[in-house]
Amino acid sequence: MGLLRRTIAEVETFVHRLDPRTKFFFFLWISAFAYLFCDYGVTAILLAACLALAAYARVLRPIGLTILIIVLPWIAVDVFVLGLGPFGFPWNETEIFRFNIFGYEVPVYYEGVVWGVTWPLRIGVCISSAMLFFLTTNQARLVSLLVKLRLPYRYIYMVIATLQMIPMLVDEANVIYQAQVSRGLRTDVSLLKRAMHYFALMVPLTLSTLYKVQVRAIALESRGFSAPVKKTILYRTTFATEDYIFFAAMAVATAILLYVYFTYGFSPIAKMRFYIIAG
Amino acid sequence: MAEPIIKVENVWFAYDDKVVALRGVSLDIYPGEMIAIIGQNGGGKTTLAKHLNGLLKPKKGRVLVKGMDTRYTPTHKIVKVVGYVFQNPSHQLFASTVYDEVAYGPKNLGIEGEELDKRVKWALSMVGLEGYEKENPYDLDYGKMKLLTIASVISMDPEVFVLDEPTTGQDHRGRMILADLCKKLNEQGKTVIVITHDMKFVAEVARRTILMADGRIVLDGPTREVMSAIDVLRKAAIKPPQIAEFSYRLREAGVNINAITISEALEQLKALLSARR
Amino acid sequence: MSEYVIEVENLSYSYPRKANVLRNISFKVKKGEVLGIIGPNGAGKSTLCKALNGLVPHFYGGRFSGRVVVAGMNTLEHTVAELATKVGLVFQDPEEQLSGVALTVYEEVAFGLSMLGFPKEEIDVRVKEAIKKVGLEGLEWRAPFELSGGQTQRLAIATVLALKPEVLVLDEPTAQLDPIGKFEVFSVIKKLAEEGSTIVVVEHEIEELATFADNIMLLNEGRVVAYGPARKVLGMVEELKKCGVNPPSVTELTYLLKKEVGVDLEVPITLEEAIKIYGEALGVM
Repeated sequence: MGLLRRTIAEVETFVHRLDPRTKFFFFLWISAFAYLFCDYGVTAILLAACLALAAYARVLRPIGLTILIIVLPWIAVDVFVLGLGPFGFPWNETEIFRFNIFGYEVPVYYEGVVWGVTWPLRIGVCISSAMLFFLTTNQARLVSLLVKLRLPYRYIYMVIATLQMIPMLVDEANVIYQAQVSRGLRTDVSLLKRAMHYFALMVPLTLSTLYKVQVRAIALESRGFSAPVKKTILYRTTFATEDYIFFAAMAVATAILLYVYFTYGFSPIAKMRFYIIAG
Repeated sequence: MAEPIIKVENVWFAYDDKVVALRGVSLDIYPGEMIAIIGQNGGGKTTLAKHLNGLLKPKKGRVLVKGMDTRYTPTHKIVKVVGYVFQNPSHQLFASTVYDEVAYGPKNLGIEGEELDKRVKWALSMVGLEGYEKENPYDLDYGKMKLLTIASVISMDPEVFVLDEPTTGQDHRGRMILADLCKKLNEQGKTVIVITHDMKFVAEVARRTILMADGRIVLDGPTREVMSAIDVLRKAAIKPPQIAEFSYRLREAGVNINAITISEALEQLKALLSARR
Repeated sequence: MSEYVIEVENLSYSYPRKANVLRNISFKVKKGEVLGIIGPNGAGKSTLCKALNGLVPHFYGGRFSGRVVVAGMNTLEHTVAELATKVGLVFQDPEEQLSGVALTVYEEVAFGLSMLGFPKEEIDVRVKEAIKKVGLEGLEWRAPFELSGGQTQRLAIATVLALKPEVLVLDEPTAQLDPIGKFEVFSVIKKLAEEGSTIVVVEHEIEELATFADNIMLLNEGRVVAYGPARKVLGMVEELKKCGVNPPSVTELTYLLKKEVGVDLEVPITLEEAIKIYGEALGVM
């Protein structure tokens, strides 16, 4: 909780000052390129760029941790499942080596391994660029922007509610976990039992979060938030020099990436023969 | 003299290794005690309470529950002995019926079949919720939800009950029901520990009171003594119950009165006033 | 213009899923008056508060009969947003009243005003005033989540005060707070009362309420059981007890003394009164 809330309050970097639209566009742009290529090298470079920006904006810890927790195990599992012959990944054709287990010959294929690395990396690019947007955007400023763009109040409230829910969920999850442990929830039992216990955590979490969002809606309503007046815009909602510099940088990167694409194809480093969307 | 059921030995604890919440706290809790822990938020009450059932482990020092060191014993063994009721019912309630909710705890402890059914019925009758077995917990009003969360810990039949702010958000009748419930549990031999801000409740229910501030135990003794230490309470920004303060002020003026509840004050004043007649 | 800021006539209300939550309630609140509302849970106190700013019936639907006029505006004829500048409603849980998007205390108060379209300069003036009124000067640039319970609730009150309502309605504002928080919030309420604000406050902390409420209304099962000056209502010990409400301890004590021993004592409703009365009776003052 402190993790998510602290980040914006304490730091003001160039990334924080960018207009929310710029950062949102960056998320769309970099995710598009991650999907344009089918190549672990290019995707890794894109991910590294996101992480570098995150480091500059001092939000590397939450983003890095998320990538570590989600992407790395995923890569490990996928490489195993897709790369090994017996699982029958349809694009496997180039054998890199084979090993011997209990007399059985298990071939390992290049395509499966590469894809096992690439597709989680692609997701990682999407996640990290989206998180970059959320963690470096002043929420009240985002609301000002939505007001300027004349989004109806109902939708603005939905954005506020979603933004509120994330730290709420994190806070609540911990207390609920403790409450259920106090009733004997065990963390050392079989996966099946744990899955059943999961339910005991999710229900109070969801219900209490939904209830809180509703109470907040009532409180905000009582303060006239839904008044059909022209709302005052408190924050800067125009693009500044920094945004233009960032767009210029993205333009240059686009040129480079497109050049690589048209010269070397969709898989310049990994040299995959087939283009795969999702595994 | 019986052995303490819980021993807290010089416990230090910090959240995230930064915010020090407990600074060298020590105390012994004997079976059958009825204790209230009071103090401002942030003073360490809840942190200490969570050490009693193994949810939190001390960074320095140790906590022994029936001889088991909480640092090295799996939490699920400790929660068998020490039941903890959280403040907010919505942090615990998840089942679709009252029955299932109360059955969850003992099921986790391996109780099943007829024994389980007996326990659930007994727990519900202790809190006065017989007949509500098929209701959805979230359809109940707040007071009954509170009672339900207590029932779902009673069904685990622990020896010690820790109740975290049971009276917050309750009306006066609800507080009375809770006070009676605490007394009932205590009469059955259970050790009951209540964390609360409600000083009137403390005066009427707890025999021993512990005041915590800044992560330390500032006062620990019979409730009457603690309630009378007005200066210490004031420093901790705690207001004693109105009768205790009333009694203190009259004492300062020379009246021989020492009461912390209405009934005590009633008796003593009757005597004092008739003496004047 | 009426001298009454609130006029409620024969108000009856049922939620869509709960009937007869309010039954034929009538009362009036003068400008500058402090009305305390007491009663057991489920009596309809919160519903009554929500009827004062239009949430009932506009937000909840249900069946509404009778009239509620606040600052000259009939709640049936105006939206909640319109009524928001006349009636400021403060709820029990401090956290749940914050927008959740503001990074600082200042922003939180300003945010509410921006949603109502106040011009920027006026926002700045109002924010500063409101923060001062609740005693949060010096904390303007703190993050809302860093505040204590009492500070958070005071921030919630500030966001409401910034709208300069004609009446402040507080629904169990200290229920979730620790002793210091309760003290802070009661101090703010008492200060506002002294400055002449019109206040309606629902509370279980009857002993505190007794020190600053002008009138008290006892609600039970949707009906007004007692309504009048604080001294009179809080002295109706039997009535209060029947509704499951405890009068101030010193009041109950004196009532029992009089009943069992027949002493002729004035019935105190606050600690200070009790000290004086008993001090004299026991010959020490």
